[in-house]
Amino acid sequence: MSKKANTSLIMSDAASRQQRISSLLGQAILFLITSLSTITVFFIFYFILKDAIPFFKSEGFKEFFTTTRWYPSGSPAEFGALPIFVGTGLVTLGAIVVAVPLGIAASVCLSDLLPFNVRQIVKPVIEILAAIPSVAYGFFALVVFAPLLQNHGGAILSTGVWIVLGPIFALLTMVLGDLLLDKLRNTMSPKVATSIVFPILGTLSFLFLYRLSANLSGVEISSGTNALNVSIILGIMALPTVVSVAEDALQAAGRELREGSYALGATRAETIIKTIIPASVSGILAAVILGVMRAIGETMVVWMASGNAARIPEPWYNMLQPVRTLTATIAGDMGEADHVTGSSRFHVLFAMAFCLLAFSFIMNLISEIIVKRSRKKLGK
Amino acid sequence: MRLETRKLLDKAFSGLGLISIAVMAIALLLILTPIVWRGSKAFIFKGTIEHRRVMLELFDRGNPEKFNQESADAAAARAPVYQMMEAFEAEMKAMDRKKRKEYKAPFREVENALEELLGPMPGQRTPVLLRQRYGQTRWDRALVKLHETLYSEEWDYSNADAMGVLVEKPRVDFFTGTELEPLFQYLEDYLPEMMQPKTTFYYQFITDKSKDSHIFGGIWPEVLGTIYLTIGAMIFAIPMGVIAAIYLCEYAKEGRIISFIRICISTLAGVPSIVFGLFGLAFFLNTIQVSDSKSVLAGSLTLSLLILPTIIRSSEEAILAVPRAYKEASLGLGASRWHTVLTVILPAAMPGILTGIVISMGRAAGETAPIIFTAAVSVGAPLKIWETLSQPTPALPWNIYNLCTEHEAVDEIRHVQYGMVFTLVAIVLLLNLAAILMRARISKKLRG
Amino acid sequence: MSEEITMKKIDTFAEHGDGNQPHETHLSIRDFSLFYGDFEAVRKVNMDIPKKMVTAMIGPSGCGKSTLLRSINRMNDLIPSTSAAGEINFEGHNIYARNIDVVTLRARVGMVFQKPNVFPKSIFDNVAYGPRLQGMRNKQELSEIVEQSLRQAAIWDEVKDRLQANALGMSGGQQQRLCIARALAIKPEILLMDEPTSALDPKATALIEDLIGELRQNYTIVIVTHNMQQAARVSDLTAFMYEGVLVEFGKTKQLFTNPANPQTENYITGRFG
Repeated sequence: MSKKANTSLIMSDAASRQQRISSLLGQAILFLITSLSTITVFFIFYFILKDAIPFFKSEGFKEFFTTTRWYPSGSPAEFGALPIFVGTGLVTLGAIVVAVPLGIAASVCLSDLLPFNVRQIVKPVIEILAAIPSVAYGFFALVVFAPLLQNHGGAILSTGVWIVLGPIFALLTMVLGDLLLDKLRNTMSPKVATSIVFPILGTLSFLFLYRLSANLSGVEISSGTNALNVSIILGIMALPTVVSVAEDALQAAGRELREGSYALGATRAETIIKTIIPASVSGILAAVILGVMRAIGETMVVWMASGNAARIPEPWYNMLQPVRTLTATIAGDMGEADHVTGSSRFHVLFAMAFCLLAFSFIMNLISEIIVKRSRKKLGK
Repeated sequence: MRLETRKLLDKAFSGLGLISIAVMAIALLLILTPIVWRGSKAFIFKGTIEHRRVMLELFDRGNPEKFNQESADAAAARAPVYQMMEAFEAEMKAMDRKKRKEYKAPFREVENALEELLGPMPGQRTPVLLRQRYGQTRWDRALVKLHETLYSEEWDYSNADAMGVLVEKPRVDFFTGTELEPLFQYLEDYLPEMMQPKTTFYYQFITDKSKDSHIFGGIWPEVLGTIYLTIGAMIFAIPMGVIAAIYLCEYAKEGRIISFIRICISTLAGVPSIVFGLFGLAFFLNTIQVSDSKSVLAGSLTLSLLILPTIIRSSEEAILAVPRAYKEASLGLGASRWHTVLTVILPAAMPGILTGIVISMGRAAGETAPIIFTAAVSVGAPLKIWETLSQPTPALPWNIYNLCTEHEAVDEIRHVQYGMVFTLVAIVLLLNLAAILMRARISKKLRG
Repeated sequence: MSEEITMKKIDTFAEHGDGNQPHETHLSIRDFSLFYGDFEAVRKVNMDIPKKMVTAMIGPSGCGKSTLLRSINRMNDLIPSTSAAGEINFEGHNIYARNIDVVTLRARVGMVFQKPNVFPKSIFDNVAYGPRLQGMRNKQELSEIVEQSLRQAAIWDEVKDRLQANALGMSGGQQQRLCIARALAIKPEILLMDEPTSALDPKATALIEDLIGELRQNYTIVIVTHNMQQAARVSDLTAFMYEGVLVEFGKTKQLFTNPANPQTENYITGRFG
């Protein structure tokens, strides 16, 4: 037997104490390093709030949140940030309209429709979309997309209508037609009904789309750097987040659920829409929230391509006018405010940052809670 | 619903899904194509004699003898232009005063356009600005300038109701019958001889310093700044992130404190990047003053906090993916916990951890908002390594923004902007490609 | 034919076990219980494991036999919310006492797991892992100990030419024998085996069983198995556990041929489990 056979199992008290202390000490150091993120979060809140409070103290809340005149360098300075909040909301809303339907459809596709090897190709596409730096998106929006919108706005809008609404209307026609056929079953033969109902519905929806796109193709866009431009680009940027989180949620719904539905004779579409999506709705909601956070926190794209006009579009939903967002205001005004640290002009930017921070913190908490609850429900 | 309709709807549903995937792929393609196509033109383009002059005089690069030969050819081709101009000046002197006045301004315009196209006239004093000392270095820009020389732009306000319309008028019409008339035809016919365009592979675009705020030269200060910032961020973030992940996976007992730390990590991941920038300014620069002004150090610290959650999460995932059996085997052989982590768990998790690190490197390299207030300046020389502790630096993401919004000659340097975007996107995508390949290898290994 | 071999083996081992010389107790388990949270997985087990013999533990799955085995080198410490009561005495010390050095304990009580768990390192590094832990750095000594362990584990001839190859490239049976060699390299006194053949094919299983027969001359072996024939083939003593309770513990031949407890009889004759 080697020498270690003699090593006693029993440690002397001193050795035991020493070992316990050193292990405790080691763990304490590890714990400290781990809690660095926690400390950072606290520091971020503290330092942003510390520089935001002077603004609220001297200017109050009412002007900042409810009035529309934003002249921080005027005399007297005016800090009506409502247009900026509206701009942020408008752009985020637009991004969600782009990202959520696309993202959910794509995640369903990834989790349920595509075979394994095709998925292996599609996944990198999503990863690349997520990896492209935001300044590159901004550059694209400003240098490529904005001139296109400005010069061929009408054509782009009407093509967009066909691409987006075309498939949806085709689906609608099919569903409505089928419902009508059910109603008409007693009054005429199915063949006749089919040959009447579908052409009529098809023509109607085609006419509607045609009128809409014809109207839109006449639209002139005076500036390519506007809310629409930014919304589309932000939507594309938020897509990868939405897709990957929603896909995780759909996967988590599990095989058993799917098999249960298929075994009852449901088609794939019915299984997904009636069983899988309701089962994973909380995960999908979390995906949407994370997408919102991605869009609202983005700086470079909106700074470069939103037009940076601090006024509420007229009417407020007019996406073709330039807008300004919180992030872009912070990025753009800090350079000038920097030199007069201590002025309201400096602190107002921290007040905006605090609004962003608080919003993203709350959103984050909500999504955590949603995910946790859904996990409990699924018993995992 | 009838069965056929249900089946049809099922197909339509699949179709919608596929369309969404296709839309995503097309969006990616639409965004990347102009960046790659026009970006590569910063590296491969038709360079004129002026480009080679710049290379020789500013960067000491190229074959002087060959250049002199070409330069002589170009000068010979240009000589008639200058002769015609001299002849016209002589003609102008002979005109009566009123007519001379009429011709003076348009002639001045032609002269200016020609100087921009070909560089300073022979015999002229060397101009102050570097950009005025050389003609157009790129053939595509030379063609644009030729067009400006040949046509004058005027606004037509004849329709009082509509906005003014831009009209281009051939300048030659104005000078018909004078000594200058043949100049325009000559320029159009002999531009290649005057500029000597040649396909040029300017790979030094990445490693050359910029001259006269990016009118000439390359983007080295920006590339170097991005490298510094990225590496700096990794130096702080990797040890912190990996150690935190080890603690969370191997040591921590799940409880209130740990779940609180986890919430904080996900909160940190959700903080908008511009807020990180403000925090970096308020904390690193204004409070603890890691440096007197913006600096690479402050920027790196800010970026490292930004990527910390990503590194923690991916490392945690990689560590959790290490089979429990390895850990048990090592402990069963009498290894201590820490020893087990170092010799068994970390090596086995390393590819996964590296994947996460590489992806967050790409993130750090491409982030702009956090470095605006902490590290980035528009113009600057490449830094020495010790200067990173106290000096700000140009960086690719910031300078892309700066060049395409605030530069005085935005349109003249589109190729530099595209070149920068292309370089940045290439760096980031190569890092991600490396990560994708690593992951593929890992999953292959795990599947056996 | 396999039946014949089996019977022969039982006979030889049983003969050995029937020998009249009294065996020294190596491990004595006294009123030992182990809890997962509130669930008592092992209930007040009392048992003396003799030196240099093979003790098998059998019982239906979930009966606590693996848990008991893992308690012997305190592997259960790794699972959160476990707690132990009672004593396991090793060399007169209760290994659950506060001042026990768990790391040394594990170095002296080797373990082989259900699934072969080789490290993704070379064969040599796998075997040398334990000795290196104990501070052995001398190349010469290391390679001697590696060779010796691999020979003991009856795998030396198969791997001697590719010691630097990655261990993951070996077959399952080879991997398991490598795990045994790795456990032997730290010169343990007790070798715990947790269903070591359950992931292997019959041929590899036979090799491991032969190996156990060899090793019993130098080591105290405790083996958990699902396979009663295996227990009958390789062990001197057998313990039958059911729902955390040690139902019967005795000489293998006796337990299989003439069990004292009706529950044991039901199990070994295949009425449940």
